[in-house]
Amino acid sequence: MQEFISAFFGDYSVINGYVPLFIFLLVALGFAGGTLIAALIIRPHKPYPEKLAPYECGMPPLMEAHERFSIRFYLLGILFLLFDVEAMFLFPWAVKYDALGLFGFIEMMLFIAILLVGYFYAWRKGALEWA
Amino acid sequence: MELLFFYMFSAGIIGASLLMVTRANVIHAALLLVLTFFFMSGIFILAGAEFLAVVQVLLYAGGIMVLYLFSIMLMNVEVSVRLRQYHRQSFFAVAASLILIFEVWTVLGRGGSYPAFKGFSWQLGATPGNVEALGSVLYTKYLFPFEVASILLLAAMIGAIVLAKRTIDR
Amino acid sequence: MVSLTHYLALGAIVFVIGAAGVLMRRNAIIILMSIELMLNSVNITLVGFSRQWGDMTGQVFAIFIITVAAAEAAVGLAILVSLNRDRTALNVDEVNLLKW
Repeated sequence: MQEFISAFFGDYSVINGYVPLFIFLLVALGFAGGTLIAALIIRPHKPYPEKLAPYECGMPPLMEAHERFSIRFYLLGILFLLFDVEAMFLFPWAVKYDALGLFGFIEMMLFIAILLVGYFYAWRKGALEWA
Repeated sequence: MELLFFYMFSAGIIGASLLMVTRANVIHAALLLVLTFFFMSGIFILAGAEFLAVVQVLLYAGGIMVLYLFSIMLMNVEVSVRLRQYHRQSFFAVAASLILIFEVWTVLGRGGSYPAFKGFSWQLGATPGNVEALGSVLYTKYLFPFEVASILLLAAMIGAIVLAKRTIDR
Repeated sequence: MVSLTHYLALGAIVFVIGAAGVLMRRNAIIILMSIELMLNSVNITLVGFSRQWGDMTGQVFAIFIITVAAAEAAVGLAILVSLNRDRTALNVDEVNLLKW
């Protein structure tokens, strides 16, 4: 297996770690696509209106399945995204924590404090409430 | 082998992004953009920027595009699919883009022959500890931009909450 | 062998596709997505330079660009959502109150 992997990129150390990931991706895509195509070839195809209805033995659909979301989902999505960015900054800091020492600690606490202001603003404004 | 992978990911990026800017259905465009970001993270891995590749998938495909899909769900896309998709200035836009591509092609054709453009300081995947290296530069040399980034995020958060809350109250 | 020119050419092509999308489309969400594409093409260029010079600065700036893109997506989509309450479709031509 090791020889097979290093046949891709030679003896480069880091990138070889991603070759199994790439093979995994190919296998996953191939399995999903392969089953769909095999089903397309094998299955019988005899459509009629009742079979094509969304609920074959149920009530007929009244409107489009696409319903508008509540905007509160969107507000939570914004907060998630901005704190996701914060988590992205936290990760290299945590890895380098020992080398950075107290300086890095104060620096990151300042960063988090500034973002906490936004968090409390969202809290006060009732953006986190679900009423 | 590296060249083969680079061309494969590049073809994915260019194909998916060309499809993205021409789709009428916004949801299809958003999913194609997610595909583009996945191929870009492949390019980043090839360049040895592993942390960026992870962030690309986690933040772009997992955060920003989810926000886009949320806001698409908030609006009615069925109406906008039936409308005219392209602006009146499309012709000039395509012409300007082709001119820009031609310019870049000329410049890169010249510049590529300089020795400075040949070879990399980092050979393929020869930099273990990408996150450590990134952290040691980001939190020391770029301390001030890092703190300013938090102010930017705070401003974005407050602005988005004000706009969205005003829409809820109405 | 991949060289810096490859990264720069890829970045330029993706940037031009994004710019053409911004100029051509009338759908405001697709315009915002094209802007994201342009920001990403700059990331490709920065990563290419970072590899060329063996310097982390390019990757650090790519991270800042991702931060800016997140902030831009949050505020831009909030503007679009609040515009959409008054209008049924999302065409940039219809948003012309500040145009002279």
